[in-house]
Amino acid sequence: MTRAQQTISLALLVTSLYLSLYLGLIPLPAVVQEEIIPVLPLWSLVTFGAWLLVRLGWGMLTFRDTPDAYAELMEEIKLAKADLRVKGVDVD
Amino acid sequence: MASAKSSGSKDTYSVILPTFNERQNLPIITWLLNRTFTEQNLDWELVIVDDGSPDGTQEVAAQLVKAYSPHVQLRPRTGKLGLGTAYVHGLKYAKGNYIIIMDADFSHHPKFIPQMIEKMKEGDYDIVTGTRYAGDGGVYGWDLKRKLTSKGANIFADTVLRPGVSDLTGSFRLYKRAVLEKLFESTDARGFTMQMALAVTAKAKGYSIGEVPISFVDRVYGDSKLGGEEIVEYAKGVLQLWWSI
Repeated sequence: MTRAQQTISLALLVTSLYLSLYLGLIPLPAVVQEEIIPVLPLWSLVTFGAWLLVRLGWGMLTFRDTPDAYAELMEEIKLAKADLRVKGVDVD
Repeated sequence: MASAKSSGSKDTYSVILPTFNERQNLPIITWLLNRTFTEQNLDWELVIVDDGSPDGTQEVAAQLVKAYSPHVQLRPRTGKLGLGTAYVHGLKYAKGNYIIIMDADFSHHPKFIPQMIEKMKEGDYDIVTGTRYAGDGGVYGWDLKRKLTSKGANIFADTVLRPGVSDLTGSFRLYKRAVLEKLFESTDARGFTMQMALAVTAKAKGYSIGEVPISFVDRVYGDSKLGGEEIVEYAKGVLQLWWSI
């Protein structure tokens, strides 16, 4: 099963579930039927979008910078160049 | 391919390094690889696949073949034929039963290779990939825009593909040889979206992927190749994978 097939089948399932609620096939209290069900799709979309943004923001906040790795690498490059010249390899 | 061995004494690790204009970086990365593998007492080789670099990369490679004999081989190609086919080409000449894929520009530091090998043995993983986004993985040299692009791209791919790998575009990986050969047979994707395709295909085929946090030091020399065009290519690549795997 491809990711596309998975996503589409899940989407179809959710859609039919939603439709059965929307068309009143399942009895629900009036408040829920009139006020909540109609806005559910838009609300889900907005919430999903917000969730993605939260993930992005969190990722930005917790993004690790590694200046030590850079410093260490610079040192190693110096060592390497010296050793390589001895071995007859062109380095800058 | 090889059946399970109880000791590591017969394992050979082949590093396949596609290069294009890496004259400055190549000697140093080779030195680092030599140091790491020698310290760890591991049997290793380096297969350099150069796509006809005009900057003298092949001359330096020839010097390295001599200086680090018998570990280094140069397998050049006549033109810029791309990353995916470079790996396939290199694999033909690689003798190892474990294959390491990495970049030639220090963004991937060989010091993580022993950690990856250890991780693979620990969990008998088919693939071990370096991750910049989990554990104490990280990046040096990215400005805010680059971080945003990268994290955004990762979240996009993660949401669409749900691959179960924290760094999908990472290209610092250790593969069991048989696994990589199988993946090349079944993946058509070439170009830089190939790394993603390999990971997603691997997951779909039920291969296990372990992760090791790495520090990614970006572009010590040279410019980054990330522009608007690449971003569009990337999005297309992700959607193609979503559709086909």
